[in-house]
Amino acid sequence: MGRPVAVIGVGQTKHGKRMDICYPDLVRQAVVAVFEETGLSPEDIDGVVSGTMPSMMEGVAMTHFYFADAMQAVGKPILKTETCGSTGVSIAHSAYYWISSGMADVVLAVGHEKMNEGDSQATMTTVMEPFYQRFFLSGAPGVFSMQCQGWSVRFDIPEEKVREAAAVLSVDHHDAAFDNPYAHVKVRLSVDDVKNAKVITYPIRLYDVCPNSDGACAVIFASEEMAKKLGKKTAWVKGVGYRGEEQFFGDSDKATWPSAVGAAKEAYKQAGITNPRKELDVAEIYDPFTYQEMLFYECFGFCNFGEAPDLVLEGVFSQKGDLPCDPSGGVLCTNPIGATGLIRVGEAALQVMGKAGDHQIPGAKTALAHAMGGIDQFNGIMILGSEL
Amino acid sequence: MPMKVGIVSVAQISGDDSKDNFYDQAYWATREALDKAGLKRDELGTVVSTASDVFHGGISCANAYYWESVASFLKNGTRQDGESLFSLYYAAMRIMSGHFDTALAVALCKGSENPENDTITHFFTDPFYQRGIGLNETMAAALQMRQYMERYGITEEQCAKVAVKNLANALRNPHAQRKGKFTVEEVLDSERLVDPLTELQCAPRSEGMVAVLLASEDKAKKMSDKPVWLKGYGCALDGFYLGDRDLLKGQLQRASSKAYKMAGINDPRKEIDLAEISEPYAFQELLWYEDLGFCGEGGGGKLIDSSATEMEGDIPVNPSGGVLANNPYVSRGLQRAVEATLQIRGQAGERQVDRKVNTALAHGTHGFAGQCHAVVILGS
Repeated sequence: MGRPVAVIGVGQTKHGKRMDICYPDLVRQAVVAVFEETGLSPEDIDGVVSGTMPSMMEGVAMTHFYFADAMQAVGKPILKTETCGSTGVSIAHSAYYWISSGMADVVLAVGHEKMNEGDSQATMTTVMEPFYQRFFLSGAPGVFSMQCQGWSVRFDIPEEKVREAAAVLSVDHHDAAFDNPYAHVKVRLSVDDVKNAKVITYPIRLYDVCPNSDGACAVIFASEEMAKKLGKKTAWVKGVGYRGEEQFFGDSDKATWPSAVGAAKEAYKQAGITNPRKELDVAEIYDPFTYQEMLFYECFGFCNFGEAPDLVLEGVFSQKGDLPCDPSGGVLCTNPIGATGLIRVGEAALQVMGKAGDHQIPGAKTALAHAMGGIDQFNGIMILGSEL
Repeated sequence: MPMKVGIVSVAQISGDDSKDNFYDQAYWATREALDKAGLKRDELGTVVSTASDVFHGGISCANAYYWESVASFLKNGTRQDGESLFSLYYAAMRIMSGHFDTALAVALCKGSENPENDTITHFFTDPFYQRGIGLNETMAAALQMRQYMERYGITEEQCAKVAVKNLANALRNPHAQRKGKFTVEEVLDSERLVDPLTELQCAPRSEGMVAVLLASEDKAKKMSDKPVWLKGYGCALDGFYLGDRDLLKGQLQRASSKAYKMAGINDPRKEIDLAEISEPYAFQELLWYEDLGFCGEGGGGKLIDSSATEMEGDIPVNPSGGVLANNPYVSRGLQRAVEATLQIRGQAGERQVDRKVNTALAHGTHGFAGQCHAVVILGS
């Protein structure tokens, strides 16, 4: 499988409502941070990958132009990779294939979003085609609440159990966010706070849902030769997987989500993982909605379909559990969408490098990063490991 | 190139406003490329498409809309925005990485469902400094043209000659939208859009669904009698603010030098047999000649005067009619690669040049005054 590829550095902005800074400077902060972290300079970069959510989000089209200078990309070859919510992981995949193919040694990947300068739900409504779906699916919560209902009914999971497990996950992630200096929402919650919060789209309530965040993430990928030359801690890409489904929501089975299952299988095969629950030490899962995270556990083979709520209640996926998920606080606490998937990759890389600070999972050697996008259509995975 | 990647088959559906819907057009182009190679959908490795959320009929996350129409259902695929030659390059890299044997690059743009191109290019501007003055791609090009004429003494007539040549070439291309026998005077007398640019010197808004199937060396040789090989690629992005850039010394020289180096080309004028380049504005073809090394600095006007870039010349440029004849904004770069491939194979029909084409160049650009360039060298 091509040449080995490593993550050699991660730069993030402090995510949140960043009215203190303009959009290009937000991008610049993440890029400057990764150059400082790696000791590299823009001259060392062979290519740049850029991506974000649709132009309507912030009202500027072709953002690779707008951020050419902030990304230090002037005069460089560029790829503009966009796959909706899964953009961040697709950006990481682009950097991976670029180096793995032998066409570059060092690639800078940059994802960004400034959601407080636009209307994310209005934008997402325009993802649905205009004739059949746009009028009733409108925005993200509508799609995801239908999927959650479909899943719990299909596997006969009592609503009370789903609610309880979702609330436990929410409390756990919100607690974890306090250990991540870059996380956006930091509130201490009780299970009752989550269960009694206002309904967004039944059965989803406020603390089951991610925020609108401003933020950027920059990750530098390198070939084995370059990574070894730098002599720093690296995270190796062990597997990449991606699958996409069709536009019409009713046409595929979102309760057993074939794109999520397929993407994970592809990545596991490359990484030689046969029992993910045992072989993974930590996972950074794209969880804009609590319910959905449980479905991902099942699709990724952490447990059988219908079992995730029981295991959540047993604490298997909590920060001190068997397979800690989203120790960064996850998407639930921080969601600058175009950056979000790349943040998952960055966080997974930091975990296997042992550089995740206060939210480090001790001894993590193998980590999974994931992102999802479209109308429940796209799932992308990257597995990172501490050893080549 | 660390590994040989070949173009196995190509397909294009393009031209004027069509009554066919997006899904059908996207499917037909994809299906044609697969059928020509005898490849079934489930045998295809990966799909890299290019489409833009702004040139996409008001539907965001373009890939979410057409995913299953371009053979991607439950496949590992991805999407590029802006420039469709990005897709060609990325698809080739996916093969070179050893993960896939075959890859489909597709570009999708249905102009008839979009607003005017410049309504959209206006949104390439930042909201603070440039948007308020109404900047768009045609305005940026007009500034560039004026500067080009003043710095090098290029005349309006020389610029118009590009439109005369390309629109006449397009008469032989069934995939072109705008075509005709025009005189230099008619080009200059057409409606003045943004001074000094006249209508026939500015590209129209077209449809373009374009598909290119790529394969690893072994596979390509099995799947096609005439695989066309990817020999070189170069790309370079320019800075954001128009006023910060030297519009006459942009990034194309850098992009083409990289592609030439990779392909082992030292004298492009001699070693390249044919070029398909993106000239959304007539004068840009002259400026790009210079940056591509077909002539010296300021020599673009003389080169067109010499007839060297005509169909019968020693370096034919845009025998298809180029972007002036057909402009599906995000698909235009990949469409150039399709035309270059057909010429190398001798399958370009009436627009086939009357000489052996061994090495051809395809070029794509998007943004203001050549804000980003991509160059591909293809060879027999």
